[in-house]
Amino acid sequence: MKRTEQSLRYTRAQGCGEIAQRRHAAALHHPLPAVHLGDVRLTSHRPHRSPAYRSTISSIESILAMMELERWGPSKFLPTSRLLIVLAFVSCLSCVFVAGRSADGYTINGRVKIPTGAGAKGFGLLGKISDVKVILNGGQKVTFLRPDGYFSFYNVPAGTHLIEVAAIGYFFSPVRVDVSARNPGKVQAALTENRRGLIELVLEPLREEQYYEIREPFSIMSVVKSPMGLMMGFMLIVVFLMPKLVENMDPEEMRRAQEEMRSQGVPSLSSLLPSAARN
Amino acid sequence: MAARILAVFLLLFLSAAPLGSSLYEDQVGLMDWHQKYIGKVKHAVFHTQRSGRKRVVVSTEENVIASLDLRHGDIFWRRVLGANDVVDAIDVALGKFVITLSSDGSTIRAWNLPDGLMVWETFIRGSKSSKSLLLSGTNSKVDKDNTILAFGEGCLVAVSSADGEVLWKKDFADASFEVQQIIQSPGRDVVYVLGFVGSSSFDAYQINGKNGEVMHHDTASFAGGFSGNTLLVSDDVLVALDAAMSHLITISFQGGGLSINEKPISNLVGDFAGPVEILALKLGRMFALKANKLITFISISNDGKLDVLEKINSAAAISDALSVSDGRHAVGLVQQVDNKVEFTVKLGNDWNTNLLKETINMDHQRGFVRKVFINNYIRTDRSHGFRALVVMEDHSLLLVQQGEIVWGREDGLASILDVTTSELPVEKDGVSVSKVEQNLFEWLKGHILKLKGTLMLASPEDMVVIQGMRLKSSEKSKMTRDHNGFRKLLIVLTRGGKLFALHTGDGRIIWSRLLESLRKSEACEHPTGLRIYTWQVPHHHAMDENPSVLVVGRCQQNLDAPGILSFVDAYTGSEIKSVGPVHSVLQVIPLPFTDSTEQRLHLLIDAKQRVHLYPRSREALSIFQQERSNIYWYSVEADKSIIRGYAIKRTCVHEDAGDYCFEPRDLWSVVFPGKSEKIVSTVTQKLNEVVHTQAKVMAEQELMYKYISKNLLFVATASPKASHEIGSAIPDESFLVVYLIDTITGRILQRMTHQGCQAPVHAVFSENWVVYHYFNLRAHRYEMSVIEIYDQSRADNKDVLKLVVGKHNLTSPTSSYSRPEVVAKSQSYFFTHSVKAITVTLTAKGITSKQLLIGTISDQVLALDKRYLDPRRSLNPSQAEKEEGVIPLTDSLPIIPQSYVTHALKVEGLRGIVTVPAKLESTTLVFSYGVDIFFTRLAPSRTYDSLTEDFSYALLLITIVALIAAIFVTWVWSERKELQEKWR
Repeated sequence: MKRTEQSLRYTRAQGCGEIAQRRHAAALHHPLPAVHLGDVRLTSHRPHRSPAYRSTISSIESILAMMELERWGPSKFLPTSRLLIVLAFVSCLSCVFVAGRSADGYTINGRVKIPTGAGAKGFGLLGKISDVKVILNGGQKVTFLRPDGYFSFYNVPAGTHLIEVAAIGYFFSPVRVDVSARNPGKVQAALTENRRGLIELVLEPLREEQYYEIREPFSIMSVVKSPMGLMMGFMLIVVFLMPKLVENMDPEEMRRAQEEMRSQGVPSLSSLLPSAARN
Repeated sequence: MAARILAVFLLLFLSAAPLGSSLYEDQVGLMDWHQKYIGKVKHAVFHTQRSGRKRVVVSTEENVIASLDLRHGDIFWRRVLGANDVVDAIDVALGKFVITLSSDGSTIRAWNLPDGLMVWETFIRGSKSSKSLLLSGTNSKVDKDNTILAFGEGCLVAVSSADGEVLWKKDFADASFEVQQIIQSPGRDVVYVLGFVGSSSFDAYQINGKNGEVMHHDTASFAGGFSGNTLLVSDDVLVALDAAMSHLITISFQGGGLSINEKPISNLVGDFAGPVEILALKLGRMFALKANKLITFISISNDGKLDVLEKINSAAAISDALSVSDGRHAVGLVQQVDNKVEFTVKLGNDWNTNLLKETINMDHQRGFVRKVFINNYIRTDRSHGFRALVVMEDHSLLLVQQGEIVWGREDGLASILDVTTSELPVEKDGVSVSKVEQNLFEWLKGHILKLKGTLMLASPEDMVVIQGMRLKSSEKSKMTRDHNGFRKLLIVLTRGGKLFALHTGDGRIIWSRLLESLRKSEACEHPTGLRIYTWQVPHHHAMDENPSVLVVGRCQQNLDAPGILSFVDAYTGSEIKSVGPVHSVLQVIPLPFTDSTEQRLHLLIDAKQRVHLYPRSREALSIFQQERSNIYWYSVEADKSIIRGYAIKRTCVHEDAGDYCFEPRDLWSVVFPGKSEKIVSTVTQKLNEVVHTQAKVMAEQELMYKYISKNLLFVATASPKASHEIGSAIPDESFLVVYLIDTITGRILQRMTHQGCQAPVHAVFSENWVVYHYFNLRAHRYEMSVIEIYDQSRADNKDVLKLVVGKHNLTSPTSSYSRPEVVAKSQSYFFTHSVKAITVTLTAKGITSKQLLIGTISDQVLALDKRYLDPRRSLNPSQAEKEEGVIPLTDSLPIIPQSYVTHALKVEGLRGIVTVPAKLESTTLVFSYGVDIFFTRLAPSRTYDSLTEDFSYALLLITIVALIAAIFVTWVWSERKELQEKWR
């Protein structure tokens, strides 16, 4: 059987006219004439499923929305007739990206992007793409990332699903993914943490996770600030500053103060003692 | 004024303590340990061709794919697949990819051999379920185009091994065609697909290996019918059994057409009874037949004649044939002879010569050999050497080479069923003085090093020494009980039927024991362990005896299968006694009574809800008879949506052990409407939980009395649609109902409905509160809710005067029958992650505040302070509430990375978390298990009753020295000043 792969791309007019986006044009080897299918324009081609192909995809991230439709004949195996649809929505927040259709399930394709370089210090083991797991519906399906960060869930029924990314060192928001049954292959996604719609299913960590407290370097201030340091500081103040304060006082004032104290009979420790009381 | 200063100081201290515990990076390994496992190996492929790292790639029953170092048994990399993603076959392609076929043959993945990165993934969609087979052509040297043939879901697919591209696909959609074998001709351009149609017809398809077109189709029928598997004996001969299991059928299919021959098995093995099994050797024109408890090796000559080569005892494992050189095949055989294991490698064409025969001493605690994989290497004298990877009965993995066990892995620990703890023996010998003196110098040296470390003066080498010292600190791994109760034995029951005792200090195995009663026997075909309980904890008057544990098992998977009980010494691991097979075991209830030898009374409930009392002694019976009227239990019938309560009626009528068996009396039942509600989760309190205080003091001197009852059951039910997985239900048709049910009376104390929410529900019940985790479909996020129950009937006991005078009802006994007025408070929050397990920290006295330990989907354990799940949280807490520590309300629960108990580690395949209180009130021990195991020590409110590990002794010493110096200086000064005064 001949290897045929088709790619379907269509643009949908949404008020502002047709916007056709060409995705990974470099990978198009045999572009066939465009076919009209309702409001859908089809082009078939043979994409290469090579790393180069994927890297081309990754290089073009400016596309507003894209949709990939994989159709396999229900009875006859139409091997990988791959329909690539590029959709351009302008209005909606959470738009369409990737879905494939087959007999009773769809394919969700997406990508996990982990920032490299900055910030990954201190965790030698972190940021390794091979340790990242992508989880559908709390463990129903688990998949891993390909070297370019792409992942796929196959045979997913229509409905609203949840995708989680488990990566040590990063915090990913779970993603709500709607696979529509009425509008085959239409997929919407939104981050559940901040309700932000996703144009493409490109998952990026919301933040890095630092699992350890950072030990502050030794400094004099930390010693001074510690309870014992405070204690010593207070003691020093009493020892050195109090006599100075007393010295600076006017002798007459001192005497007055002392008299005042005597007249008031400040309860001193000695006066509280029974022996003092006898005096 | 002084009070204010004190308050300021206190505030300073408290503000330093964040909610939850956290760790510095250099403290890793100080209180925690982590062990990585893979599980029982199913398939293994060696990769030793090239120079460099020699490795073996394995797939296991825990759905792990791992690459192991062949020299030491360490894990190079490991991938844990999803729970439903069972690995069917693995192979190595192109010398650089590990190819796996999983999920019933629907997923083919390629993993990079050096680092385990997934290179590509291909999904095959077929129309029916079928056998899954993988052919990657590593055995044939002519492989050039690098295609992989995979068969799954009734489809034959050729996949390019470089990028996973599907080259062609042939769907055998005919429902009755049951594919048994796929063979590729040596030239790789013809693929044979062989299988049965119906029970009596055999079909062979010849398929063009280049494009998948059918070239030829043959059918042959056989009247006797086929049963079970077929075996490929050579490139063109297949062996099968007939339906009656009395004849051996050989099918040769190459060289034009199919020819079927049959031969009675009795001719080969003599008279036999019982089941017959054929064992594959793959290639080598041989196979093995297992009948009559013997394994018979049979070879097939080129003209189809069958010859018996050898008969051996069936307690042996046979490896697949390995092609050695110039078309010769070697077969590895591992036989058990007493405590030794005999490893033999025989040549296929010449059975009588042994290429290798080695005897290896084997710990009999490992049981029988289950599987063996062999690999050859060229010795320095250019002869063939063989190494064997052996999987034992206890799931451990051993590498055998040159008559020795090179390394062993205790992979039974990857499938822990249940955990309990035991105290270590009390230290008896006094510490001798000389030992202390000898250690004084060491001690000083250590402290000087530590001082250097604290003052940041230490060189990197010193730091290494300090770290090593901290890790080694023998204090931690002693075999005696410690004052703080940190050192304990974790007794762990694994699926392989082996019991392990792990030391909490460093995780080493103290003893391990393959339980005789949990091994396969005549009476018990498929025994499995279920739970483990502490049976006897000697204290006071039975101090000399060792503590023991009770292991409960079951003969078969079904609930009414006979049970097995085994009593094991917790210090030595020896089996004191075993009972069984006995009555079925559905539930085990440890009673709060012990007999004079400190054996705890246990009630075992069988499938007919009859109660069996253990230990079976007169004394136990008399204790039980006294308390008989106070014993109630319940059963949850999830499939019928019924919860029933029982009490004891009378002793059994028709039972042998009449006196110790009691019949139930139905007390109450809660019937949920089965059509609209299905029970998805039930949770009770932990029996050993200690509650410190009954009252909760609120702000403004308010007092709330907790409703504390050990007899509360939390039940979550969901609408039928909502009880499935996420993604299948819509919000309108799903709801979740939670109940709090008193298990004595069946009274429903609280009922709450969550609209638009669905299962899975994970819950934890402690003191007077329940926290549960579920999925909210409307928001499409996970939620956690808390319910706290308070006793309203005691609410007016606020007056101190009343309390003093005694006009209160606090001492009146609490009874489930008294129908107290309860008030439930509830609040819900969003939670980001899916949850695998949830539990709560337990401390010795219950004073320390609680933390929830949440096992997240990313296999980490998060400690979340209970204060975040407090129904009294509000958007703007009043000043008084703030002082009390009520946190302002937020819609979602915070996930603070520093409060991950597992810090940067993962407990792969996390299944459970167990907490055990230490003797020190502030501290609790946490053990989490899955494929990995992880242990740590937690202090939910920081270690307020002991100094932390990182307490700076140096600073304390410096302060003391400085103070003393200051005293002397000031003393001298005052002397001088006094003198001056006198001279004046």
